[in-house]
Amino acid sequence: MKGSGLDVGSNADFRGEELPFVLAAAHELKSPLALIRQLSLGLEQGTADTDTQCRMLRQIILTSERGLRLTSDLTRTTRLEDSLFELEPVNSRQLCEEVAHELTPLYEARGRELRVVAGRRQLLAVANKDLLRRILINFSDNALHYADTNAPVLIQASTLRGGETVKLGVRDYGPAVPSDVWQRVKRHLGKAPVSLQSRPASSGLGLYISGQFAEAMHGSIGATRHRDGASFYVELLASKQLKLL
Amino acid sequence: MKRPHTILLIEDDPWFAEQQLRTLAEAGFSAKHASDGLAGIEMLDDELPDALVLDIFLPGPNALVLLHEIQSYSDLAKLPIIICSGSASDVPLKSLAPYGVVSVLDKETMQPGELVGAVRKALL
Repeated sequence: MKGSGLDVGSNADFRGEELPFVLAAAHELKSPLALIRQLSLGLEQGTADTDTQCRMLRQIILTSERGLRLTSDLTRTTRLEDSLFELEPVNSRQLCEEVAHELTPLYEARGRELRVVAGRRQLLAVANKDLLRRILINFSDNALHYADTNAPVLIQASTLRGGETVKLGVRDYGPAVPSDVWQRVKRHLGKAPVSLQSRPASSGLGLYISGQFAEAMHGSIGATRHRDGASFYVELLASKQLKLL
Repeated sequence: MKRPHTILLIEDDPWFAEQQLRTLAEAGFSAKHASDGLAGIEMLDDELPDALVLDIFLPGPNALVLLHEIQSYSDLAKLPIIICSGSASDVPLKSLAPYGVVSVLDKETMQPGELVGAVRKALL
């Protein structure tokens, strides 16, 4: 906070600016590791009752899994240039359901709800299922930290441009991101990690990784700022396969 | 019987907060929790706590905004504040002391007992 007598250091991550990749990765991994350490120290003290111990163990497991997902994503990012990811028609609605199913234990443990909103139509996207799944997990994981307790996080699937494009997104309800920060995020979206000052647990690394994954599938990511939260989405070419049937 | 000291914790990570609340309760404090800056300001008004444990990066107003806000209230200006953050190394205690900050704890290295120790010291 320059000019007020308070300065919290020179790192860009305090000001909603572009972060070096390694710094962003370190920042994202720091939070789960610090939490796991505190929970482990708490268990070691031996003062918690059995129910609390079970709860703490569950929190350690879920937090570890979150950290491991990030390391897996980082590994995949480095392999993107090798073109090891084949594209195929992916049933988007089914994938949304799978992601919601996978993240439900984490959401429930946080007292939150993750819900899929999709029409009945079969939406086939030209995608790599694993990369697309990871994009949705990243968006959903991001939303988990900012959604209001009483509002569900929504995974949404729809088509655009007369069915030429499949759009998959995650809508959260929470504090609005300030306009100036949002402009920076939009400018750098998918190009570099950018911190969201009002979304403190995020260095923007998940969005950067998602952008890389989308690009590898000839798609793109985008974001919409709402008065009561945000939507992050990926747009991909729709598969023509159904039309040929 | 003497009323237990009330400690307000402003921390956005619910599981971290749960740990800290439990630690404070075991030490005999009445610990309250707010998960963002705005809720924190409201609870400061409602609870008038004896000490505040404050994370730096919060949804909405961050700790630095809150520190300024607290200084502007005459009834809170002398509230002892403990910063507890993963970015503690970036916030030298010296620069925060004029805002009522009496300790800075690093989430990466702190032991559970350190929080209680810092709170007790703040209440002296």
